[in-house]
Amino acid sequence: MARYGMALDYKNCINCKACEVACKEENGVELGAEKHRIWVGANDVKGEWPLLDIASAAFLPSQCQHCEDAPCQEVCPTNATYYDENHVVRVDSDKCILCSYCMNACPYDARYVDDRTMTVDKCTFCSDTRLARGETTTACQATCPTKVRTFGDLDDPNSEISELLRTREHFSLKAHLGTNPKLFYLT
Amino acid sequence: MKIGPLSIPLKEDFSLKSILGFEKTPVNMLLALSVIAMLVMLVVGIGNYLIHSHHAYNVTRQHPWGLLIAVYIFFVVSSTGFCIVGSLGDVFGFKDFTMISKRAIFGSIVTILAGFTVIAFEIGHPVTMMIYNVLTPGLTSAIWWMGTLYGLYLTFMIIEFYFLLNNDMKKAKIFGLTGLLVGLAAHSNLGSVFGFLNARTISQGVYYPTYFILTAFITGIFLSFIIMGFRYKLNFNEKTKKLLEGLAKIQGLLISILIFFMTWKLLTDMYGGVPTRSDVAHHIIHTAPFWAEVILVMIIPLLVILKDFGKSPVLMFWASLSGMVGIFFMRYNLVHDTQVKPLQMMKIREYQLSPEWIHYFPSASEIMISLGGLGLCILLYYVGTRAFNLDEEEGH
Repeated sequence: MARYGMALDYKNCINCKACEVACKEENGVELGAEKHRIWVGANDVKGEWPLLDIASAAFLPSQCQHCEDAPCQEVCPTNATYYDENHVVRVDSDKCILCSYCMNACPYDARYVDDRTMTVDKCTFCSDTRLARGETTTACQATCPTKVRTFGDLDDPNSEISELLRTREHFSLKAHLGTNPKLFYLT
Repeated sequence: MKIGPLSIPLKEDFSLKSILGFEKTPVNMLLALSVIAMLVMLVVGIGNYLIHSHHAYNVTRQHPWGLLIAVYIFFVVSSTGFCIVGSLGDVFGFKDFTMISKRAIFGSIVTILAGFTVIAFEIGHPVTMMIYNVLTPGLTSAIWWMGTLYGLYLTFMIIEFYFLLNNDMKKAKIFGLTGLLVGLAAHSNLGSVFGFLNARTISQGVYYPTYFILTAFITGIFLSFIIMGFRYKLNFNEKTKKLLEGLAKIQGLLISILIFFMTWKLLTDMYGGVPTRSDVAHHIIHTAPFWAEVILVMIIPLLVILKDFGKSPVLMFWASLSGMVGIFFMRYNLVHDTQVKPLQMMKIREYQLSPEWIHYFPSASEIMISLGGLGLCILLYYVGTRAFNLDEEEGH
């Protein structure tokens, strides 16, 4: 049993969106702009030429944060959203009633409706695909040309992610909400 | 009518003929045709939903709750309001209010049935819900508590109504009090569905669970004026005038408290400096539905009450109609304003403009099912007036 998390060296992101494509391909995510498990956020460059604020144009790859205290799990009336044995936040589509409460409760907009099952879907850290086949990386990590993502076991002190989190400063998104995300943004 | 050991006192002339035998005045005919049209819309809306599923609705990833959630809240608030008003007489023993108890409790049953009908077509898998609500209950979920308690509440209301019909006031009081407590718990849990939303700071907190009870009482009084207005065709007798004057005075107090609550909610939202709360509050006060809510629920009814301290029941009937339209906007605003601020403020697609406020307008199917719920509610209530004696029994 592991406690999976992901570190993102987000300043390396070049917004090529290969991760989005790999995720859709690997996990059979529906086509369509609204149907995505992961995404890369971008801001408009602030300032006026020639005083452009280049730092404001950083890209921010994101997805389900697999929170330790996930609001989506707390609000689910049928426990369809649950933590699996690897602390990954998952949705049991057999139990999901599509009340959409989790979509409203998730602070990260990480959930969407899968029209094939009419249930809520989200990132699973490739649990049903790559991890189930015994691989140790997620599709988004494996495909990233600038090695933004490092996926691994947070409980294993020798894992690459543990090493990164020990040696690099990092932050979490919307940390003030107390959700304790397991996605860490390296600075 | 006997069903096993139960004796349900139906009116002697109750039949299909008595249902269709209403006075054929232009107003009644217009009302009857409107109800039929709304029921047709319900069927068409449901048919469209069954064919296209949630694609028949204008809900999106960013705005997953739409009109049907607002209408469900509208109906269950009405039900709780009816329950509170009904309880004034038969639970708390205020003699002046006893004459409306049976009618209000019946109203609470039909409104919640209409609410359940509407929500059944919003929840993606209602049958799965009934199974897994029991097998794997999510006890930390406000929706679970709200749904379960409302189910219990409906049961208690039906039992209370049965005893009221049979003039067993002692048992009616016991089940009425239990139903009221369960109903209040259910209703405040409905408020907490929004209050627990950590991600939506405009709604998060204690405000909605308490405000829901206050607005339920206000809704109950508006509805009481409407049903009594129809019962007496606006030609009230002295006893009814006394009842309505009392209700109007309570309403004046409740609306004043509501204005006080809302003012401070908005002021603390706007000037409290909490990110994603302050900007949303500033956005809200510049929207027309917000002012519809303020004018129709608060200003018009309060002015009518203040005119002569509730002594104009006919005027209050019209003000209550205005109030109920406003209450609809109140529910719609609650649902929409909770979701109006995007959770993801960065661009995620090429050529996309930076995210701003989320726009939502209900689809034709959503509107048809909502109006259908209203039609169903009116129909059930009308059939009830034909089937049961909803007036106070002599000697009670």
